[in-house]
Amino acid sequence: MRKCIVEKELKSVYVDGDKVMKVFKPPYSKTDVLYEALNTARVEDTGLDIPKLLSVSIDEDGNWIITSEFASGTSLSDLLAAHPENADEYAEAMVDYQIEFNKRSNPLLLKLKDKLSRQIQELDIDNNIKYELSARLESLKKHNKLCHGDYCPDNIIVETDENNKITKMTAVDWVHATQGNASADVANSYLMLKLANASFAEKYISIFCKKTNTDRRYVDTWMPIVAAARLTRKNPDEKELLETMIDICDFQ
Amino acid sequence: MSESNAEVFIVDSIETLEQRIAQVRDAQRIFAAYSQEQVDKIFTAAALAANKARIPLAKQAVSETGMGIVEDKVIKNHYASEYIYNAYRNTKTCGVIEENPSYGTRLVAEPIGVVAAVIPTTNPTSTAIFKTLLCLKTRNGIIISPHPRAKQSTIAAAKIVLDAAVAAGAPKGIIGWIDVPSLEMTNTLMRESDIILATGGPGMVKAAYSSGKPALGVGAGNTPAIIDGSADITLAVSSIIHSKTFDNGMICASEQSVIVDSSVYSQVKDEFTARGCYFLNDEETEKVRKTIIINGSLNAKIVGQPACRIAALAGVTVPESTKIIIGEVTSVDISEEFAHEKLSPVLAMYKADDFSDAVAKAEQLIADGGYGHTSSLYINTATEKEKIAIFQEAMKTCRILINTPSSQGGIGDLYNFNLSPSLTLGCGSWGGNSVSENVGVKHLLNIKTVAERRENMLWFRAPQKVYFKKGCLPVALNELKNVLGKKRVFIVTDQFLYKNGYTKCVTDKLDELGIVHTTFYDVAPDPTLACAQEGAKEIRLFEPDCIIAIGGGSAMDAAKIMWVLYEHPEADFMDMAMRFMDIRKRIYTFPKMGEKAYFIAVPTSSGTGSEVTPFAVITDQDSGIKYPLADYELLPNMAIVDVDMMMDQPKGLTSASGIDALTHALEAYASIMATDYTDGLALKAMKNIFEYLPSAYENGANDAKAREQMATASTMAGMAFANAFLGVCHSMAHKLGAFHHLPHGVANALLITEVMRFNAAEVPVKMGTFSQYAYPHCLDRYLECANFLGIHGDTKESQFENFIQAIEELKEKIGIKKTIKDYGVDEKYFLDTLDDMVEQAFDDQCTGANPRYPLMSEIKEMYLKVYYGK
Repeated sequence: MRKCIVEKELKSVYVDGDKVMKVFKPPYSKTDVLYEALNTARVEDTGLDIPKLLSVSIDEDGNWIITSEFASGTSLSDLLAAHPENADEYAEAMVDYQIEFNKRSNPLLLKLKDKLSRQIQELDIDNNIKYELSARLESLKKHNKLCHGDYCPDNIIVETDENNKITKMTAVDWVHATQGNASADVANSYLMLKLANASFAEKYISIFCKKTNTDRRYVDTWMPIVAAARLTRKNPDEKELLETMIDICDFQ
Repeated sequence: MSESNAEVFIVDSIETLEQRIAQVRDAQRIFAAYSQEQVDKIFTAAALAANKARIPLAKQAVSETGMGIVEDKVIKNHYASEYIYNAYRNTKTCGVIEENPSYGTRLVAEPIGVVAAVIPTTNPTSTAIFKTLLCLKTRNGIIISPHPRAKQSTIAAAKIVLDAAVAAGAPKGIIGWIDVPSLEMTNTLMRESDIILATGGPGMVKAAYSSGKPALGVGAGNTPAIIDGSADITLAVSSIIHSKTFDNGMICASEQSVIVDSSVYSQVKDEFTARGCYFLNDEETEKVRKTIIINGSLNAKIVGQPACRIAALAGVTVPESTKIIIGEVTSVDISEEFAHEKLSPVLAMYKADDFSDAVAKAEQLIADGGYGHTSSLYINTATEKEKIAIFQEAMKTCRILINTPSSQGGIGDLYNFNLSPSLTLGCGSWGGNSVSENVGVKHLLNIKTVAERRENMLWFRAPQKVYFKKGCLPVALNELKNVLGKKRVFIVTDQFLYKNGYTKCVTDKLDELGIVHTTFYDVAPDPTLACAQEGAKEIRLFEPDCIIAIGGGSAMDAAKIMWVLYEHPEADFMDMAMRFMDIRKRIYTFPKMGEKAYFIAVPTSSGTGSEVTPFAVITDQDSGIKYPLADYELLPNMAIVDVDMMMDQPKGLTSASGIDALTHALEAYASIMATDYTDGLALKAMKNIFEYLPSAYENGANDAKAREQMATASTMAGMAFANAFLGVCHSMAHKLGAFHHLPHGVANALLITEVMRFNAAEVPVKMGTFSQYAYPHCLDRYLECANFLGIHGDTKESQFENFIQAIEELKEKIGIKKTIKDYGVDEKYFLDTLDDMVEQAFDDQCTGANPRYPLMSEIKEMYLKVYYGK
């Protein structure tokens, strides 16, 4: 029995037994659909246990459909809303999972730095700011770790035991996955979290820095860059805040 | 665009940039040939032009960037032209800049080529003036990459310098710039330049360092200023205000935090308030905190803004005239926004429990983001020297300023006149930089060192007194009482000599002189460390003021070691025996000898020469290791060569020690360190030996003249090799003796002619390394010996063969056998130990002076030839 779980103007998501179908309505670009399928498959190729891509097809109405395995469970955001007292534990689980997938890589994935650089250039902002951001991006280290690109509690499916402890965790929606510097991915997650739940965001970033022995300043260095990248999504709720975040100056 | 550019076009793309780089490169090639006079004329003209334009350029920079204060930027422009000019007006930067005729060295300065200069927004015009002037003085071309926020003023400054330089004769287009900056163009410029002067943010500096070209970058500053309890508070506070408000706090060396000793905290706070600074309350501090730093990065909107505008951005109202807004904070951790570099008149203030707490806080603030840059201390320099020492030890900063406003102080020549003026402050490896000082002209020059070949200084050293002639011993010993005033003599000798009365003439004389003495007579051949230690024990008990060694090499060597142990019981033989390449450059400093006892050597055989040499060999009885010691401290103070002591040498000793003396003379003559001084001694020694050794051997005491001539030869050869050293024959003989127990003289005799053939090769595989040794000339050297000995031949080769033959005949006359095998050395054992022997011989101290540098395979070949006689 097909059940609609997400309904948007151009995209709907249905669950049918152990499968999930993303239906893309025209004028959704087939390039984007095929890119999402290919990118997800490339993440699968890293060996990470994510819901398997099953097929890409077109229905009778001309809609593109990506069918994948269904990850059963609840989203981490729902769990967090229901049990805010467990926030520390959930933040740690979120970081642990991230550290695990950061260990993987696939040379065919898009490079995060290239993507960020393109996003900065695309922005309709002051050229001086672009110059500062580009110079900063240029100086940061290129890595080849698997990055999710949209790693937030909404995109994490968990199974729990009777005490609401997480027993299994799976990240979904890998369309934005790239290979690059994990700290950039963390900075991106932190920004998303901060917009929704500032205290959870702080927990998350401090656990990450502690567990990976990363200097907080190093993650912070990425903030204006990922903020700029996020601006390309043109989300009106975020615009003003993100614009403040990108107008920074390095020492001279 | 400048009319003075060869081609007028705008640099706004990679293609036009490439054109500009080519143009500047062409101009620089011409400039590279300019004389110092031409360069100095251009430097003066350019500095004057920049100076004249200081006010319009300052105005333009402020209006374009919206940062800073016109009047302060005027000072920076003025400084960049006048102070830089003054610092380098007389500096030689072209051609030969330094010459040392004695050492034969010249330093020749050459330009580097095309300099890529990254210019920041904070000091656009002054940095452009600074870098272009440095390049003109050093005959470099320069292309400027301005920051887009400050491009017009940066270019305007560069253009003024360019126009003035060209008018004064510089090649057209020697200074270029990017008109429409982009990161891609900056990166291209850096890749294609010859060196990068990167003043800018960390992105730019890192890009510079990763461009593959040498780069002079700067690092982040986060200057902490400590105000100690002993400081002059009025001076400290006003200095900090003066520095922090300068150009609205945009100088990288500017104070970011003040750490105040608790004993003067309230006084300091009152003084800041009285001088127009504003202390934020808790709520206001929080507001400013969140305004100045966003997610760990500095908010661009506050950079170079006046205090009241920054306060307003944070929603805080302060008087318009406020000079600095100060947040009183406690955490020095980077999570505290006030602990960051702020590039604005915003200051953090900390209260320190005491001086060590203040230093700890400063260290953390430096670690937060100012490694390598600048730190500052206000203190009483007269009374608090210890604290200053602690501070300078603790700060990982390349500039440590005392009682000085850091903005103006760090750039040099304003508050201290021995700190080079510069607008590019190196931060050392701590800041990821290649230089840790203020950047100047020397960093933009390639200095070539021209070094002419010079010969080593050489020397001739011998004992202060060498007494000789038959019967001289008792006469010489008179000096002990009459001249030297010695009272206690310790005699070292061997059992044979002691029991046969050889020491009696000495002890009788000492008795006659009333000098107390004792005799240690337990020295065996190849003396051991244990023996020397035993003797040393007795010496220490006896406490002599003179040691007399009587005997052959063994007794004299053992006595020298006892002397060392007596004077320096702490000495380490391993260190003393460490091989050296040049005795003057050895790592180990030999201890001073002769402070307790005077050393006299009396030889009883004619061969070792130990009475006049700085050498001694001692064997560790446990490990079997021989320690060859060599140092002029080991030279005896007096040698007494009295043939009466040598008359009854047995035949074997006469033969072995006589031929040993010949190898000393031959090797000293062939040595790369041979000099005219040693040559004379060596030649005469050889002649005596050829003439008198056979008779001394045959007739012994019956031919007193032969004995005496041999005694002289032995000591003269000793003086020759004490200064010219020996060669590979001795290296090989040392190991042959050690491995197969052949007498030292016999081992040398067996090897010498084979080694001479080896050394005489006109095309050796490798020659010895010594400045004086110009080319392989050992054959000629041997022929000089042959000539002196009256051995001739039709050709060089036949003369050399005749010389070899004469030596072989001499050996035969004195009973030396032909081969190693003839001496009963077991063939299998010889072959089994051969490789070890070869390696040890190669590493022997004597090898270094050999005229032909031997390969180990060559040593092995010689050993085999001498073993089998073919």
